[in-house]
Formats: sequence, C-alpha cells, structure tokens
Amino acid sequence: MFFRVMDKDRLPDLVRGLAAEYEVIGPIAKGDEFVFAIVSDPTELRLDYDTTILPPKKHFMPPTESLMSFRVQDSEVVGEELDRTPRVLFGLHPCDINGLMLMDNVFLQGYEDPYYKARRESTLIVGLNCMPHEGCFCKAWGTDEVHWGFDIFLSDLGDRYFVSVRSVEGADLLDRCVETRQITPEDTAEFQRVASEFQASFEGQPDTSQVPLLLDAKYDDPIWEELGSRCLSCGACSMVCPTCYCFDVRDRLEPDGQEGTRERVWDSCLYIDFAEVAHGHNFRASRAARVKNRYYHKQWGYLSKFERVLCVGCGRCASACKADINPRIVIEALQAGGGSL
Amino acid sequence: MNPTAVRRLAAYEQLSANPYRPWPARITSITELTDKETLFELRLIDDDVRDAFKFESGQFVEVSIFGVGEAPISISSAPSKQGFIELCVRNAGDVTGALHSRQCGDIVGLRGPFGRGFPFEEMKGNDVLLVAGGLGIAPLKSLINHIHDTRHEFGKVTILYGSRSPEEVLFARQFDMWRHRDDFDLHLTVDQPDETWDGDVGLVTNLFERVDVDPAKTFGAICGPPVMYKYVVAEMRAKGMEADRIYVSFERRMKCGFGKCGHCGVGHQYACIDGPVFNYWEAMNLQEAM
Amino acid sequence: MARVVVLGLASDFGCQVQMTNMEDHLLDVLGAIELEYWQLAASGHMPEDYDVAIVEGAVTTEEHVELLKRVRETASTVIAIGSCAVTGGIPALALSGDLEDRVGCVYGESGALVACGRILPMPVGAIIDVDYHVVGCPIDPAEFVEVLHRAIQGLRDAVPLEPMCATCKIAENTCFYDRGEVCLGLVTRAGCGTKCISLGRPCTGCRGIAADANFESAKAIVERMGADLDLLLERAQLYNNARKDLS
Repeated sequence: MFFRVMDKDRLPDLVRGLAAEYEVIGPIAKGDEFVFAIVSDPTELRLDYDTTILPPKKHFMPPTESLMSFRVQDSEVVGEELDRTPRVLFGLHPCDINGLMLMDNVFLQGYEDPYYKARRESTLIVGLNCMPHEGCFCKAWGTDEVHWGFDIFLSDLGDRYFVSVRSVEGADLLDRCVETRQITPEDTAEFQRVASEFQASFEGQPDTSQVPLLLDAKYDDPIWEELGSRCLSCGACSMVCPTCYCFDVRDRLEPDGQEGTRERVWDSCLYIDFAEVAHGHNFRASRAARVKNRYYHKQWGYLSKFERVLCVGCGRCASACKADINPRIVIEALQAGGGSL
Repeated sequence: MNPTAVRRLAAYEQLSANPYRPWPARITSITELTDKETLFELRLIDDDVRDAFKFESGQFVEVSIFGVGEAPISISSAPSKQGFIELCVRNAGDVTGALHSRQCGDIVGLRGPFGRGFPFEEMKGNDVLLVAGGLGIAPLKSLINHIHDTRHEFGKVTILYGSRSPEEVLFARQFDMWRHRDDFDLHLTVDQPDETWDGDVGLVTNLFERVDVDPAKTFGAICGPPVMYKYVVAEMRAKGMEADRIYVSFERRMKCGFGKCGHCGVGHQYACIDGPVFNYWEAMNLQEAM
Repeated sequence: MARVVVLGLASDFGCQVQMTNMEDHLLDVLGAIELEYWQLAASGHMPEDYDVAIVEGAVTTEEHVELLKRVRETASTVIAIGSCAVTGGIPALALSGDLEDRVGCVYGESGALVACGRILPMPVGAIIDVDYHVVGCPIDPAEFVEVLHRAIQGLRDAVPLEPMCATCKIAENTCFYDRGEVCLGLVTRAGCGTKCISLGRPCTGCRGIAADANFESAKAIVERMGADLDLLLERAQLYNNARKDLS
C-alpha cells in the first residue's frame, strides 16, 4: 500500500473527477438519517454521516433485480443482463467494507454469482474513517479496521485526508482527478493519533469470546423464547444488515402473460414461510426458532465455512428493530449465563 | 484439444457460467405412479449441455417452469442411465402442480445437478441397507438402480420401504418383481393395508428384526419424512453400525440450489451444498436436523 | 380462455376503477381472458356460466349472501378484491355500536332503508370460500394483474404473510416510531411498497393484518416508544373491524 495526503478543499475535485467517469454513490441526508444515493453535486455528500438506513449491499445485490427474462410458450430465456455500470461507492466506513468482503465469500466462492460479480468488478470503493456512534460494536468483532477491500481509503486529519491507496485503479484515479502530495512524518503521526483516538472512543464493547460455541451449548436457552415472543417477523433486521444475503426468486409475468421476468428479491429468515417446503412442513414454524436461526447462522453457520462471523457490528439491526432485539444484548445475555435477557 | 472437446468444454463452462440459468429439457415419458406422484423422464435438448451434465445418486436438480417458478427434485434414475434423467415428483405445490399438467414432448427448464450425493465409490465392496419412507424412495431409487447396474461390486443389498397404504407404494410394479429376486432382499410394509396387500404391515422400523447386519461391512442409506430419521437411525445403531457409515438425505426448502439463497439451512450447514446427503455423525452435529 | 365476471357488493367501486386505471395494460390483460361481465364498466347482464368471479365490496345484505352462494356454485375460482371484500373494510366499521343507530345517523329517521334485507357487514370470506385475495384500499392494478395470472395458471394464493417493516427499510423511509408516532405497518400485510409511508403518512392497515402479525408485541412497542396505544387500537379497527382479536 502507498499513501498520499489530500487537502480537504480538494475533495470536490476528486468527486467531480470521479463523476466524469463513474456513477458516484455516497452518503446523503434523508430526513434525520442518511442513505447511500447517487451524488449529483459534491456539496450533497455528507461525510459526517454516522450510518445509513440501508448498507451498501443494495448496490451489489439490489432489493429486486432481474436474473433473466423469459418467454412462457417455449421456456426460452430471452434476456439476461449483467449490470456493469462503472460505479464508485464513496465514503464507506470500515464496517461496511468488511461487510462487503463477507458477502464476497458467499457470492464469489464456489458457484460464482454472475450478477453480484459483475457489479463488484465494476465498482470502486472509497473508504472513509469514522468515529464510533452509540450503536457500534464493530470493535468486538475486529471489523473496526480494514486493510483491504477498498481502492482508496480516506482518513480525516482535520484539514486534510491521509489517503491509503490499495489498487492500481485507485492510484490512477487519484492521479487523474486530484492534486495530492507525499506524506510527511507529521502526517503519519497525526494519522496514528486519529487512529488511537478512534480506538479509545469505543465504550462497553460486548465480550464476543466463544460466542459460536456458546450458541451451540445454549441452543435450548430460554432467551430464544423471550426474543421470539417479541419478534414481529418483519424482516427489517435482515434488510438493513450489511451481511444478510438471503434471497427469494420469483417469476413475474407481463400483463399479457406471454413473457415475464425471473427476479431475485431480498428475503428474511424471520418470515414465517422461509423454511417451509411445498407440501407444508415448516422446519422453523416458531418465531423463537427463526430468531435463533438468525443468530446461529451468523455466528456459527457462516463461521463454519469462512472462519469469520457474519456480523460487522454496525448496529443497524438494533435500531431497525422496534421490538428491541439487539445483538449486543443477546450476546451479553449468553455470556452472562443465559436464562433471560 | 480436438474440436469436440473444445465444444464440450465450452458447454461445460456455459453450464457453470450462470448457475441460475435453466436449460431446456424435453419431457420424454410420463408414468403415473400414484394419485399424487408421477415419474417424469427428461432429456436436455442441447447435445453438449446434456453431455456435460454428470450427476451422482442423491443429487438433485432444480426444475424450472417459467412463469411459475422452480422446485428442487432429487434424481431417481441412476447415473449409469445415459442421456435421460428420471424425476419422481409429488404434486404438492405450484411448480410440481404445473409440471403435472405438462404433456409428453413439452419443454421445461433444468438446472444442476446440485448437492452432495451418496458415497457410491466408498460403498463398493460392502453390504448396503437402504431404508425409505414414502416419497423418500425417490433419491434412494437412484442409488438402488446404480447398485443394480454394478451389482457384482456390492455384497448383500437390503431394501426396507414403508408407505402409508398400498396405493401409495411408489415403483410398485418394479418392486413387486424384485421381491422374488435373490440378489436384493426387499421388504415392503404399509401402515394401512387393504385386502389386496400381502406384504408387511406396520412401521418400517418393525422390519429391522428380520435383517441381519454385519456392521463392519455395511453402509446405511435413509430417506423419508422428517419424523422417521431418528427411529431408523436408532435401529441401525442398535445393529452396531457406526454413525459415519449411516447416510441420511434431508429435504429442505431450496431456491438457488448452490449455497447462496439461505433457505435450506439445517443447523450450521446448507442442505443444498453440504448435503442433502449427510452421514449420521455429521447430522447429529447439526442442530435442528433430526 | 377463462371466462371472467366482475361484480361489486357494498363498496365505492374504487377497486373496479383501479382496474380501468391499468390503461394500456388493460388491453393486454383482456387478451388473456374472456371478460363476460363487468358491473362498473359495461352494460349487460351476468351470464349463467363463467369460470372466474372477481368480487369487490363487503357483504351487507341478504341479497349479497344469496348472490355469493350462486357465484360460488358457478365459478371454479373466486377472487376477492379490495379491503371491503377481504377484511370487511370501511363498511365493517358499522360493526361498532348499534347498527340501527348508525343507519339512522346516516340516512335520518325517515330514510332508513330496509330494502334487500340489511345484515351486519362482513367480508366475502365469511360467506363463501375465497381462492385468491387482492388486498388494499384501493387495490394496486399491478398486484391485481399478478393475482389474476396466478388464478389463471391455477397457482396458490400468494398474499404476503409478513408485515411491512422490511419494505419500509428497502424504501429507506424513516420510521414513525423513532418520532414517537403510531404506524400500523408493524402488523399490516406487506406488498404495497409502503406507498403511504413513503409519502409521509403512517400506515392505517388497509391491506389487513398480516397472517403472521405479532399484535401483542406491537402493543408493547407502542407503549415502550411512548406512542399512543389508543390510536394504535383505533387505527387497527379502521380496516379490520371484523376481527375481534385486535384489542
């Protein structure tokens, strides 16, 4: 990796330079919250954002996307398009970059998912450092830092950015779009100071040691019934999760019924029919079983394949869940011996 | 490489380039087995795609009917049957219902094969004890046929098959003939007999008292409704069979078939890529599996 | 091709109007069916025989009951469209309090019509089996076409079972509860694309209560978030008054 320094007042140059070649997606305000959306003007960018309603996964696997279009009569696939729009995701925090890397394991290993892969290959990632907000527990999972998974990464040093450059494309872009300079020992010292301040700002991170084993050992713990009685089965947690990747596939016919589209739509394992088979048996008929499965898969199922837990501690699910089901509280309850929340 | 090999490699790459894309297959034969179950024989239309399609017993395909959707169906024919696959399908949902309304010659879509099948090579040289309940005979039928086609490579082969009633016995005609063969020890049982039934009556586990098992050289294979597994496994364990020589095939909801969509989770695994066939040691370590 | 009739019971016919709002798609749909009778949009009489009956409106008279029984005997497929037909909708508000008082309140003492044998309002499903449901007030034309195609193909009814919070997240709406305001989306059937909420108005439950709704938890949430529980219960009645379990 090599490093540059960019003065903050050069940021609009960078964004405009990117916009000339790419669709630039970044955090912008929506009401009191923030969303990743197309940035039409650099002044819209809100790099002071804490978190966004939806994570950046929507730009790699949209909530609804066409897998193929078909003709009913002869079962022919008549269209199959991959989205290769050149994009830049600007201002991603370390948790979300880590989230994308966890998604990569699923969609780019084993059977490659061509739709995800096409978007991933066409998208540059510009990371941005952050300060922990109330709901963050990334430090507990070690997802508070990223060392790869981005093209360039901006660390805010007050009047300037310390720019870590990871890819050739990132280096070229920087060269083409914006004036930067060599780092000095003072820049590096300030970078270290900011990083230390960031680490010192975390409060009360949950103890995540042995969580996968605890989930197995406390599989029948009463807390799951308690959580199940609260759960609305609404799936909001899955939607806002940067690492939830489950989906459903549905066929949608055109009004004339002759042609149609096979679509992939976001799904949630909290929905009642998620594990129901055609002749009616439901392998997870109770809410408690479904809530438990979400945790079990994230902290153990995924780990058994990829040696990482499927959570980056972004805190989005906890704020999306009106029923107050919060992974921090669940983990703390299990660590405290279970029994109740 | 010669041109044919190049073409076939291209077909294989095409098959794997987009695992969501179904390939057209023609229905070449339809045999009604019971009120609800029908045996469909299918043939992939593209020659190269058909050549690239290789499967093992216990694997499944996704049957695709555009406008309706897809359903995972285990393959009932043996890999040794070239060029065609057979699917024993229960009319239970939208896709299987639509399939039942199709005619011979109609075209449907196929994706796959997917999943981990039975360890056929490992089973060679051993006795095999196959236990099926109801529609669970569908994936086991592939294994049975495959063993049949290479019969001299196996020791004693015992098949225990339980159904609810005589009308619900699948592959009844073939099994009726097999009852008199001496190279297959076949026992059929039903819960609710009628006056025509001359086989056993009761649960499939009752048949175990008539089976001699040499546990060191026997592999077990089980498929049936969810409630059946733990009782059948207990019988096999009581005969002294080791957990890792007993294989079970699980049915779960599957959408993609290759480990992405998340629907078929069973414990910490996915039935579609880690299974659907697991050995019992693996299965007993899967929460919510048995 | 399926022979289809469209008829209305007690409602404002808004859902039939929505069908006409399909505009250019309407012709495509009409190409896939044989429309034999459409109460709102065409003159003519109900035919003796048909395959699919599309019913709008709540049941409020003896005459409706008789009509529905005939429909069920004739049609192989019955599709209920709109809140009135599916949940009892607005007409079912008359279930609260005394029906005669309500009638008097609307029509005045002299005008209290008794024609057709007035009965307590109820959804179509309370009288006959319904095969498919298109929910909402009014229905969404695209959803209607989707259900119609499912019916023609003989597929299962596919009303979403879950409430709508997930859709709200997909739309990246900010949540009313974060402002301490009541929204019925916690328990209302998904599938509308959160039209009202995206326009800044809380959900009033026109699609009916989701099959898998956790109403007890929703009440606890309203109290914990400092929102108005009475308002939640009142909103729950607006389109779901025929249900007695939402208190």
